[in-house]
Amino acid sequence: MVKLFIHHKMPYVLAIAILTVLIDLFWALPAKAEAIAQETENYCLSCHSNPEIEHLSLPSGEQVSLYIDPDILASSVHSPMGIECEACHTAITSYPHPQIVYQNARELSRSYYLACQKCHSNNYDLTMDSMHAQVAEGGNLEAPICTDCHGAHDVQIPDEPRTLVSQTCGNCHTEIYSQYQLSVHGSALFEGNPDVPVCTDCHGVHNIQDPRTTQFRIDEPELCAGCHADEALMARYNLSADVYNIYQLSWHGVDLSVYKARWPTIWHDTAICSDCHGVHNILSAGNPASSVSEGNLLATCQQCHPGVDPNWTGAWTGHNRVSLERTPFVFYTEAFYTTFTPYVLIICGIYVILQIIRTTVERARRSLNEPH
Amino acid sequence: MNRTKSDASTNLSVQSIQTFKRFTVWQRWEHVLLLVTVLVLFLTGLPQKFRTAEWSHQLLSTPERIETLQVIHHIAAIGLGIAAVYHVGNTIYLMIKRCLPGDMLPTFQDVRDAWQMLLYLLFIKKEKPLFGKYNFEQKATYWFVFFGISILGASGLILRYPEFFTRFLPGGIVPAAKLAHSSESIVLAVFILLWHFYHVHFERLNLSIFTGWLNDKDMSTYHTLEYQRLARNHSEASEPGEKQS
Repeated sequence: MVKLFIHHKMPYVLAIAILTVLIDLFWALPAKAEAIAQETENYCLSCHSNPEIEHLSLPSGEQVSLYIDPDILASSVHSPMGIECEACHTAITSYPHPQIVYQNARELSRSYYLACQKCHSNNYDLTMDSMHAQVAEGGNLEAPICTDCHGAHDVQIPDEPRTLVSQTCGNCHTEIYSQYQLSVHGSALFEGNPDVPVCTDCHGVHNIQDPRTTQFRIDEPELCAGCHADEALMARYNLSADVYNIYQLSWHGVDLSVYKARWPTIWHDTAICSDCHGVHNILSAGNPASSVSEGNLLATCQQCHPGVDPNWTGAWTGHNRVSLERTPFVFYTEAFYTTFTPYVLIICGIYVILQIIRTTVERARRSLNEPH
Repeated sequence: MNRTKSDASTNLSVQSIQTFKRFTVWQRWEHVLLLVTVLVLFLTGLPQKFRTAEWSHQLLSTPERIETLQVIHHIAAIGLGIAAVYHVGNTIYLMIKRCLPGDMLPTFQDVRDAWQMLLYLLFIKKEKPLFGKYNFEQKATYWFVFFGISILGASGLILRYPEFFTRFLPGGIVPAAKLAHSSESIVLAVFILLWHFYHVHFERLNLSIFTGWLNDKDMSTYHTLEYQRLARNHSEASEPGEKQS
């Protein structure tokens, strides 16, 4: 009887036991981790939060501050998540610390940032394919590494606020950044517009490519079209979403599409968006200072078509559909070839068909009437 | 105007075919030049018109090939230009000399002929109208090609030298010329294939523009009025010894 009872109740007992252990584990694990993190961080900060802490002297003569502001650390992304100092400072596990072997501060940074790939392997791999990595391979050690853009102890969410992205790039690319700030995109960004592109929207994030290549040039109109062919987005700013479609039908656009399809590696000078509108300094086409404004358009055309007269700008149909007001010559030509000539040809066709019928009937009659 | 080709090698005149001179040797060469240059222009223009099409991509596989194609197009255009300038120049010269034959000029009679022909084609009339030296179909061919080549020539020059033409013409003519050149080429090609080829190859094989001559039967059938006029003139001005058919 007892035996039977135990046999009957055994699964329940086991289940309760397992559940208890699991709940205990769930309860205990984060608490333990946090406790450890706090412990490690506090342990490190017991020395490094002292502003008077001795500087690290490197063989290059550089003095590296070893002071860590606990407030900055606490407001970073990593620290509140329980990611400890030694997650990045992998070589330092005890005190006294092992001997520093770096010749200069840059070498130190370029060594420590390798720790990022432990967690962020995807983004790290992407940077290996970037323009910045290429520059570094070429010997320029000033080329940015993770910490140059994201920070180290003060690492933040990179796009909060969104202006931070462009500001970060602007730390090194100062001249382009100042142009961008005055552009139609940049000025709107700083007014809080969430739609305009920041640097990374066009250049990519981690695998940033050289924008001076043939490939980048040939892909550029499509890049602009990413936003400028988006009807819902363009409608918000009362802009035409047809600009890209019409460009593709234009002389320049057809030329580009051929090179893109056949010879993407051959440099071609046919005009792309940025050739006329500008790149980082791009302004609204309605702005009198814009390179495509009425006053500046001729000079812009003359960049590629030297010596052309003012009438030349009239040859540009301006991303607009054919209309009587804007492009009367094209309008009438199109009208001629869509409403007149097709009917002339249709009449010719009908006439020839009637002739074929009549001739056939006539021949048949003649052969029937002939005496056999 | 008419001449007799007879079997002159023997004294026994078995058969004689009367032929009518229809085109001068210059006109025949003009047509050959026109045919060759228009064909070359059409064939080299088509891949440029449809540059984004796959077959065009395969044909124009390198940027150098596009340049070569354009050079051929331009050389053929110069050839056609010479033919056109000669033709128009010669016409003006004949007008000044007041001896331009008016056969090719459109008249109100052509409208009447077209109407009569339509009635015939619709089985309303039993007989075709009678035509002169050039019937209204041939006049339509001439003038369609004349205006077609004028449009293609003018728009082609604008496309070749846009910087020059926008010195004194509004810029809007450049995209209009591009559209016109592109459209007119197709319109003209369709017209020639449909209208001209039917009338000179399928309705009857008419090679008079190459040979310069039209035989007696074709002349009396298709250009009855001209045939009668010549016959009248001929009998009036017949000289002794001249062969009559």
